[in-house]
Amino acid sequence: MLYRTAGQFKTSYQADQALFPIRQDAVLLGIILIFAWAILPLVASEFAYQTLLIPILIYSLAALGLNILTGYAGQLSLGTAAFMGVGAYACYKLVTLFPWMNPIVAILLSGVFSAGVGVLFGIPSLRIKGFYLAIATLAAQFFLVWLFEKWGWLYNYNASGAIQVPNLEMFGVYVAGPQASSVVQYFVVLGVVTLMTLICINLTRGTLGRSWKATRDMDIAAELIGINLMRSKLTAFAISSYVVGVAGALFVFMWRGAAEPNLFDIPLSFRILFIAIIGGLGSVLGNYLGAILIVGLPVVLNTVPEALGLPISSATVEHLNVMIVGSLIVFFLIIEPHGLARLWALIREKLIIWPFPH
Amino acid sequence: MKHFTRLAAAAALGALMGGTALAEGLYTPNLAYRTGPFAATGIPIMNGQKDYMELLNARDGGIGGVPVDFEECETGYSTEKGVECYEKTKGRAIVTQPWSTGITLQVLPKTNVDEIPILAPGYGFSPMADGKVFKWAFNTPLSYWDGASIILEYLSQQGDLKGKKVAFLHLDHPFGKEPLPYLEMKAESQGFELLPIPVGLKEMQNQSAQWLQIRRERPDYVIMWGWGAMNAGAITEAVKTKFPMENMLGVWWAGHDADLNLVGEAGKGYKSVSWSFPNPDAPIMADLQKYLVEPGNTLSNPEEMAGVFYSRGLVISMMLAEGIHVAQAHFGKGEISPSELRWGLENLNLTEERLAELGMTGMVPPFSTSCANHTGHSGGWILEWDGAKFTKASDLIMPDSAAIAELEEAKAKEYAEANAPWPMNDDCKM
Repeated sequence: MLYRTAGQFKTSYQADQALFPIRQDAVLLGIILIFAWAILPLVASEFAYQTLLIPILIYSLAALGLNILTGYAGQLSLGTAAFMGVGAYACYKLVTLFPWMNPIVAILLSGVFSAGVGVLFGIPSLRIKGFYLAIATLAAQFFLVWLFEKWGWLYNYNASGAIQVPNLEMFGVYVAGPQASSVVQYFVVLGVVTLMTLICINLTRGTLGRSWKATRDMDIAAELIGINLMRSKLTAFAISSYVVGVAGALFVFMWRGAAEPNLFDIPLSFRILFIAIIGGLGSVLGNYLGAILIVGLPVVLNTVPEALGLPISSATVEHLNVMIVGSLIVFFLIIEPHGLARLWALIREKLIIWPFPH
Repeated sequence: MKHFTRLAAAAALGALMGGTALAEGLYTPNLAYRTGPFAATGIPIMNGQKDYMELLNARDGGIGGVPVDFEECETGYSTEKGVECYEKTKGRAIVTQPWSTGITLQVLPKTNVDEIPILAPGYGFSPMADGKVFKWAFNTPLSYWDGASIILEYLSQQGDLKGKKVAFLHLDHPFGKEPLPYLEMKAESQGFELLPIPVGLKEMQNQSAQWLQIRRERPDYVIMWGWGAMNAGAITEAVKTKFPMENMLGVWWAGHDADLNLVGEAGKGYKSVSWSFPNPDAPIMADLQKYLVEPGNTLSNPEEMAGVFYSRGLVISMMLAEGIHVAQAHFGKGEISPSELRWGLENLNLTEERLAELGMTGMVPPFSTSCANHTGHSGGWILEWDGAKFTKASDLIMPDSAAIAELEEAKAKEYAEANAPWPMNDDCKM
């Protein structure tokens, strides 16, 4: 009914290879984009911006970065948070060393540094695979967090060892720091995330994406058909770390406002890995669904008792929350081990052939 | 299904609109942490804070006749949850109590924009004492630099520090690093050797490397800036390495009865600086017994209520209630606004007589604040563990205010410059 594909004929290869071969997909995405760009900013409160919209977008972007590496290129990484940290610290150094720099340029540039560090720590991937590679990225995780703590230059020798986001202006409007309004920050984050997603979708559909997938599925076969494994793996590390680094810069500059080194420790890496796994490895959509489940749902659940007027203490709500979210994760993984994106793909498939299933 | 949709709709609406549920009275939310890794130290403090406000409601019908709406928002000590709680409560709140250095650091610049006073008793950023720069922040009655100063003062009373070696065992975190600038300054002027030994967040429970270093370096004193699991770890390690307990001193957060109970007699002589002390004979304790314990309206238990941390919770809520009281008297109305409470917190005058009136004699040193002094610098006591409980081991010791004020001014200025444009408190002419 909603997904009737009858009458949508492809008359050229180009049309067949288009981003949205089915018209309804494009319409759906259009509706979501209109929601994100026009309707939500009109209705959202300060609370919704700060606890739902902005963090979900940023976490999705970080998971997208990880997904390129782990989901598309098949290189297991446990160091995502550390690469986010590189992005955040690079951005901090850029805006404090060059105060005239446009903040968005600084955020996009900071990804370059994390890409460099990512490639460096990606070199072992040429010789080791799977769990062994995970250990190598774990080393990056520990080493980088240690570096953020010990290298005073990174945080401008601040006595507290934490970085604080200064007020940054762009065309007369504050975009970062305590003076910036949430709406502005939301639009900056949304803009960057939209751009990155667009680039990533097209990268994963193109030559590069195909060579990543070949590497993931069977590296020896990939090598035999002429794919340069070194190039394929290192570009995956570079692009993934770039996206993750940008997400890290957004994380601190557009949302948190301050960061201490241990923020980028392993729990954050795991959180992003969970988002990617529950959303679905090897998909772009999954990162958003995963972030909504892991980042957004607990916040919404927290407000339920109050909205219904139930007299439950805040600590009990927190305990209940952990239980509910935990069981939901288990539930979703049981009904669809390949993640939420796959679940959506199945629903979509069913809708297309509805009401005449084979 | 219909029910579920309604539930989901309510949830979505609630989340979008923010906390819109309205309750009467003075809304003073507390960003509590009864869950998570620091819950053991959090619960007694949170109970103390909550019980004091509930006592006021039950006994006096609130403050100045207006009931206190004291609500907890659970953070689990996580910065992310803390910001969520701050955003949720700031619409109606007249104060924010962030309860972790991480959350404080994040909320501090925002309070200037949102114009909500931030009350961080005995924690947070030491330069917040400079009320001319930090218009909305209060860390009564003592800052970390005051605490470090009192410890050094006490040690000097035991004998000249010149040529001595002082190890500074601290959590490698903004909280633990906080007193370093002061200690470094003093090490130079008093001529002792300062040996900073950081404990990483992951090493809190296993400090063998740090204590090996202490054993090798043989410091005369160990000053500990620890929190949560780090304290118990350090104290058991000290007992194991047979470090003389009387030469080990902690900050007020490292003086938790439960941590010392683990070692009991072996911890005898351990000291901690404190700005609060449990006084079982204070009239307030009898009132708590009558209005809360007997009707069964408290989450606490007798053992906890006799401890240092519970009474600290009481003192913290007392300072807030007193700020509200002062503001009500000055502005002549019951329901005060955040900026009126700011005035109240800036004009606290807790004399011995006022403390007696509140029934809290001996539980906190008398102090007063002003628009330029947002800490009060009350002075503190050195408490000593006698094998079963903490006892007062010294008279009230005052911090070296002159040296601290200088450092505060410099660091506050640095902060304001890094966060330009930073609104200064221009009304303050002191």
